[in-house]
Amino acid sequence: MARTLGGLTALAVGAAFGGYTLLLVRRAPEFSFAGASTLGAVALLATGCALIGSGVIFWLGRPASRFGPLLVTAGLAWFLLEWRNAGVGSAAVFTSGLFLYAACPAFVGHAALAYPGGRLRTHLERGAVAVAYVGGVVVLGLLPALLYDPVSQGCNDCPRSLLLVADRAQTATDLRRFGLYLGVGWAGTLCVLALARAARRPPGSGSAVLAAAAVYLALVATTFAASTDRGLLWNGTFGRRLWLGEAAALVVLACGAAWSRVERRRARAAVARLVLELSESPAPGGLRNRLAKIIGDPDLVLAYPVGDASSLVDVDGRPADPTTRPAQTTVLRDGRAVAVLGHPAGLLDDELLEQVAATARLALENERLQAEVRARVEELRASRSRIVATGDAERRRLERDLHDGAQQRLVALALSLRLLSSQLDDSDAARLHAAEAELDRAIAELRELARGIFPTVLADGGLAVAVRALAEDGRVPIQAEGLPERRLTADVEAAAYAVVAEAASTATAGLRVRGSERDGLLVVEVHTAGIGTLDQASLEDRLGAIDGALSIAQRDGGVTIRAELPCAL
Amino acid sequence: MRVVIADDETLLRDGLARLLADASIDVVGTVGTADDLLHKVELTRPDVAIVDIRMPPTHTDEGLVAATRIRERQPTVGVLVLSHYLESHYAMRLLEEHPERAGYLLKERIKDVTVLIDALERIDEGECVLDPTIVSRLVGRPREQSPLDELTDREREVLALMAEGHSNDGICRQLFLSPKTVETHVRHILLKLGIGDTGDYHRRVLAVLAYLRG
Repeated sequence: MARTLGGLTALAVGAAFGGYTLLLVRRAPEFSFAGASTLGAVALLATGCALIGSGVIFWLGRPASRFGPLLVTAGLAWFLLEWRNAGVGSAAVFTSGLFLYAACPAFVGHAALAYPGGRLRTHLERGAVAVAYVGGVVVLGLLPALLYDPVSQGCNDCPRSLLLVADRAQTATDLRRFGLYLGVGWAGTLCVLALARAARRPPGSGSAVLAAAAVYLALVATTFAASTDRGLLWNGTFGRRLWLGEAAALVVLACGAAWSRVERRRARAAVARLVLELSESPAPGGLRNRLAKIIGDPDLVLAYPVGDASSLVDVDGRPADPTTRPAQTTVLRDGRAVAVLGHPAGLLDDELLEQVAATARLALENERLQAEVRARVEELRASRSRIVATGDAERRRLERDLHDGAQQRLVALALSLRLLSSQLDDSDAARLHAAEAELDRAIAELRELARGIFPTVLADGGLAVAVRALAEDGRVPIQAEGLPERRLTADVEAAAYAVVAEAASTATAGLRVRGSERDGLLVVEVHTAGIGTLDQASLEDRLGAIDGALSIAQRDGGVTIRAELPCAL
Repeated sequence: MRVVIADDETLLRDGLARLLADASIDVVGTVGTADDLLHKVELTRPDVAIVDIRMPPTHTDEGLVAATRIRERQPTVGVLVLSHYLESHYAMRLLEEHPERAGYLLKERIKDVTVLIDALERIDEGECVLDPTIVSRLVGRPREQSPLDELTDREREVLALMAEGHSNDGICRQLFLSPKTVETHVRHILLKLGIGDTGDYHRRVLAVLAYLRG
């Protein structure tokens, strides 16, 4: 309430300043910049009122920022330029004009560089603004006012300068000229700094404010430069045109600043909606999408610290890296990181971020816990997958060792026995034959063993080929259809094959194997009329390792084993 | 007959060479790797190359790949692949592409010198050879209702021999039957199974094998 009152007061003071200034201008238009034209009057009033109004709006929305008050001050200072007018009549008004006529650009520069938070961020900016104040208020205003008596200089209608301490007209002119040169420097510097700021912001009302300020400051610098040979701010035709340009730039600046508050209000409404939506608990990933919309960045990265906070994951528990985006912001809760946002630079200002964070903190914490669980599940799946892969590699090695080691030796031994038997008499040879027969059985058994340990044909020919080979084994008939002929990843093939092989080894009746593949999901269904006890746990391990699923159902007077295996194309 | 032996197991290679030498077969080279085999075959132009399916470096199917390459490059050189694998898949990888002058036997057959020499001779004559154990697995595997059930025992015997790559003459010799009887059996079998007889020996073997595997 008090704030609204303060705002209204500022507006009233501004309006009074504006009205009074217009009166002054009208009384002696030849000494003013606005002149006698309607355009000049409109420019004078519109600019000052826009700056003051926009400053008040900004201040009401964001009282902690100095930007609003600076803008109001700049608006008042805008009028003061016209108070340095020989025809104003009042000594107090005239003296104020003499003192502060060049203060406006310093306030505008300060406001622009401090936009929107109200603080200057670098030493360079602070230095440039300090020089602007000294240059605009002291060198151009106060010091010449102390030494310059307009009446003694032949301006008989001029009011007295209340600040006059000594009549040193030449020194005052020299000072003003120096101040103008200095002014070209500081106004130019502020202009460049504002442009640099504008370039770093994404396009929008913020960059418009800075760009308008830069244009204004450039025009001010030009005015200063054009006035140096006279040693006075020059209100000739060129000077007035420049002044109109300055007015236009300041109106744009004021409108941009006001518009940014409107946008902010909208964002805040979105934050309010977020509160509502969050109370309805959005689906996983929904929070990121909501925030992306509010913040206005579709590529927003929302990462959650899990474990000892050394790793970041998304809501699905998969590794996420916010540093792929230009800027990162950490949302804290009780001093602990809850989430890290990756977003474009300059998009998130402290205020909006704070609102979003405050609103979403609980939801973020909630999603972080979900992400943590999912990350754990993912870790578990990965470790399961490693165990299965290690087991397969081990079995494959074993199979190789059996084939290339033991079996080769046995075959070589059989060959040696045969060579030996050809040199023996018949009775010894007959005894040797018994041993050879034993050896043949050993070789056959070893082959079966090796095949059971690891099906080489699966690695060599893929799932469909391996299932066909399984059908040659001769335990039960196997009819297979629809299995993909193309090669899948080894873990998917091994898991699908394991399901069929396990069913084949325990089935007491024929198997019907049906494969189908859709949308990156391979479904293998094995139906049989009779089956013994499956090693379900090992199948679930294999399927779990690849994010698949196993289900067993009684159906059509038999059992259907259904395996779902994700297999990206 | 001149043969080259490729097997990375020295003991086996030398034993096999001795066995074949005793049977008056001219072993013109023994090698331990697939690359050496290709080189040796190029140099010596043997009648048949005897190749172990598993050879360095990966010990999976290097021998099979080398055998296929020999059949492509040197059509006059036959290949006999010795394998540990019972699955018809590996045999078919060899035979489907190049059924003539190619054979696939289980490794332990090598001590059975008559089977081995019979296979080598048949390959040298241009036939194809498939291990009886693999064929009997294919013929005997359980099926749900199949025209195979309608075959007589004798016809099943003939069918198995056809699948092993025997020509009609070979079947006559194996079963001590007259050529006419064998022809009748063959005709009946093909009719019952619905396999069209093109009269081409190699195509008939592949058609029978495709039927049995399907």
